[in-house]
Amino acid sequence: MQFQLNFKSGKPVYLQLVDQVKAAAASGALRAGEPLPSIRPLAEQLRVNRNTIAKAYAELESQHVIETVAGKGCFLRETGTPFKKDARLKLLSSEIDDAVVQAHHLQVAKTDFLQLAEDRFDRFQLKRTRAGN
Amino acid sequence: MPTTQHTAVIETTGLARRFGSTDAVNGLSLRVPAGRCYGFFGRNGAGKTTTIKCLLNLLRPTSGTVRLFGMDPAREEVAVKSRIAYVPDQVAFYPWMTVRETLDYFASFRSHWNDATERGLLDQFRLDTRQKTSHLSKGQRTQLALITAICPEPELLVLDEPTSGLDPIVRREFIQTVIGAYQDGDPGHRTVFVSTHLISEFEGLIDEFTIIEEGRAVLTLAADEARERYQKIYARFAEAPAGLDLAGARVLRSGGREIELVTDGDAGPILDRLKAQSPEAISSESLSLEEIFVATLQPGGAAA
Repeated sequence: MQFQLNFKSGKPVYLQLVDQVKAAAASGALRAGEPLPSIRPLAEQLRVNRNTIAKAYAELESQHVIETVAGKGCFLRETGTPFKKDARLKLLSSEIDDAVVQAHHLQVAKTDFLQLAEDRFDRFQLKRTRAGN
Repeated sequence: MPTTQHTAVIETTGLARRFGSTDAVNGLSLRVPAGRCYGFFGRNGAGKTTTIKCLLNLLRPTSGTVRLFGMDPAREEVAVKSRIAYVPDQVAFYPWMTVRETLDYFASFRSHWNDATERGLLDQFRLDTRQKTSHLSKGQRTQLALITAICPEPELLVLDEPTSGLDPIVRREFIQTVIGAYQDGDPGHRTVFVSTHLISEFEGLIDEFTIIEEGRAVLTLAADEARERYQKIYARFAEAPAGLDLAGARVLRSGGREIELVTDGDAGPILDRLKAQSPEAISSESLSLEEIFVATLQPGGAAA
């Protein structure tokens, strides 16, 4: 998979990696069982500290997005997540809060916002279906 | 003695070094934990090289203490030096020796030398081992110095302005080698301390840094935290806001409904206050470490 880092985004670099792996998983660019790049070549390629990559992978592992197989590397897990549904919703709600605040600043109405959310959802699903074939 | 998490790899307390009536280093306290890649940023003459020479026991401090792995490098010189390697800004080798002889000479001082790493790096840098060191270019001499520093697999790699004067390709290879060949060996026990004013090329490598000016530390922060706290913010309002509190920020541009500013180390509250005024548009981007460096040492000169 392809990573793009932006040192100006204000988001810690390891979190950018975490989010990009999750986005790749959500869109089907990365499928369950597929390997993530090894730490050393990825660090060299992105020219970031290997600790940063290791921290991102550790975070993904603690969130049960990937699993580490000793001597083989990291792999994307099946989407089953061990969190209970309300815990999962809670994780998501803070991200939605940010979007709602942003919508308010941009004067995007609730109906338009919900429509947009639905469109984006469908887009990911479409991408995933295509990637699956 | 193993390096535990509690023992810093480098620790200086009130370090000072005077030359005549000049205080080159003036009360510097630093703490570098194991496994970090630590940036030591300063302008020419800020005291970087003097500090490094005190760490390596090449200079005796006028006052203050230096501890490497918890030991005094002046008292336990061999025990300390066997665990570190140093690449200076001006690399000098015996000119009559070949590359091969130079490597063997350096290896003879070390209890451990990774031959596979040596072969790999000679190959990667395309260095001819039969070449006399006096015939090497500046870039090749730096590459050879890096090989002599990495092959002993030291726990601490000290780099003093390692990439100044090198072409961009050699610089990139240098940094990739530090990330790859060095750091990958045993990550928890691979600490890098790099002094430089070419900050942007080390942006991704640095996880914590100190900015030094006139021999004193003026700012010490984790890189991610620094990028979060130093931001350039643009906001546009429906009408010019009245009584906006902009403490902790430096206004770059302010005309009627628009404002552009740089936060001075704490972006959060300022962003909150701007958002509370219901702006039509608001955007922010982090300063790079280099811009933070400029903003810290030359208020008013940054990010214009």
